[in-house]
Amino acid sequence: VTRSAWWRRFLARGVFWRQLLRFAVLNVPPWTEPIVIAFWSGFFMVWGSGRRGVTSNLKVIKPGSYAIVNLFRCYRVFWNYAWTISDNVRFKELRKIPDWEFRGWQHFQEMQAAHGAILLTAHMGSYDLGAQLFSETSSRRVVMVRAPEIDPQTQEFEEHHGVDGVQIELNTRATELAFDLLEAVREGAIVAIQGDRVTGSISSLPMTLFGKTTSVPAGPFALAMAAHVPIYPVFVVRLGRRRYRLMTTRPIELTRSRNRDDDFARAVALWAQELERVIRECWYQWFTFDPYWPEQAS
Amino acid sequence: VTLRVVHDRPEARWLPSRHRFALWRLAAYIRLRWSRPPLERPEHLILSIDRDQTAAEMHGIAAWIFVTTVCYFAAFLPFALPLSILAAIVLAGIAVQIPIVPGGGMLRLLIGDGDHVKIVSVTTMGLLLIASSYVATTTTWARFVAWFFFAIVIINGVAAAILWLLRDFVRDAEERCVR
Repeated sequence: VTRSAWWRRFLARGVFWRQLLRFAVLNVPPWTEPIVIAFWSGFFMVWGSGRRGVTSNLKVIKPGSYAIVNLFRCYRVFWNYAWTISDNVRFKELRKIPDWEFRGWQHFQEMQAAHGAILLTAHMGSYDLGAQLFSETSSRRVVMVRAPEIDPQTQEFEEHHGVDGVQIELNTRATELAFDLLEAVREGAIVAIQGDRVTGSISSLPMTLFGKTTSVPAGPFALAMAAHVPIYPVFVVRLGRRRYRLMTTRPIELTRSRNRDDDFARAVALWAQELERVIRECWYQWFTFDPYWPEQAS
Repeated sequence: VTLRVVHDRPEARWLPSRHRFALWRLAAYIRLRWSRPPLERPEHLILSIDRDQTAAEMHGIAAWIFVTTVCYFAAFLPFALPLSILAAIVLAGIAVQIPIVPGGGMLRLLIGDGDHVKIVSVTTMGLLLIASSYVATTTTWARFVAWFFFAIVIINGVAAAILWLLRDFVRDAEERCVR
């Protein structure tokens, strides 16, 4: 390990923080946990780029709000994030699950009963925990698509400390992955994809969110069209300490017409509508630490 | 590994098994025994049976521990009281983690990687008892906080004794709820 590689572990997305979180889950008494999380949420406010990313996104979600108010809101985002990732690691390490409430139970059951479906979600609440819950309760195979960690050591750590039951596919090998996912959906699997953020060079579709133009991954929509399966928007929202709500909304059906772009645009607009509604309601747990809208990033 | 969960029973929130401290377990038993089913029910509900599951209990204990620690520090800092309280808030935030970081690290070296929550929990409470014993004997205003700490510990002990006497009733009430 070179000297620079060793130091990289302490960067915001470095492996040290994952190791520290695991250590905390295995050592912190639950009755001091709120104090520890409050402290570390404050500590992470020092992370400049993350703080600026969250506050700049909040400016769009809550237009006209004061910078100082958004700073407190940013703390609330970090606080929720800390609880969420702790719950996730607690499940992986100690098999302790939080309480779950379901909204849109009918749609959730439809998804479980359907022969193949796309589960489209966002970087909200604990999507990892949600996927693990599926694997515990569903007879269907769950394939989770996610972006790889930036830091190779962190990626290695995550692979080593994963749980059984959920098949994780990284979106780095786009072409082969598309065929693999198509086959999995046709075999009846549920493919879970985060559809609120485009990472790397994956293909995208334009979307309007909070009145501003942005883009979403094209993959889930193309897959739904190719496999003739519905897209179920699912959101995992943290309600409180070790308590989550799983919200499943009406499925988005992609019907193919002569104009493929229009078909995609219709589906993306429905997705944007759901996403915007949930983010507006639960802005404090939309875990997007980079400026989301391109004009802000520039 | 089997997950211990209850499906679609909102009243199972009050299972004493979902609480850690005797005082809370007793309060939960009373609530479970005499509460009516809630009018608003979620469409589907999964409740985990784990002793550290209840938010009100854990947040309540955390707030009490933190305030107690802040008072102990504030009483002994050589500044004016408002400044002492501000400094004590920071110090208490760090002090609460002292048994965790070196303690957890040492446990890892001695007994290996794994779940050390129970040992760290007992150690932290032990250190707090020692600190409270000391503060209770001083003449500072913080001695009242220490006395209050011991009062809670004693009440919790009494609740534990009552729960032990009621153990069969508690078990029956829990079984009725999850059946």
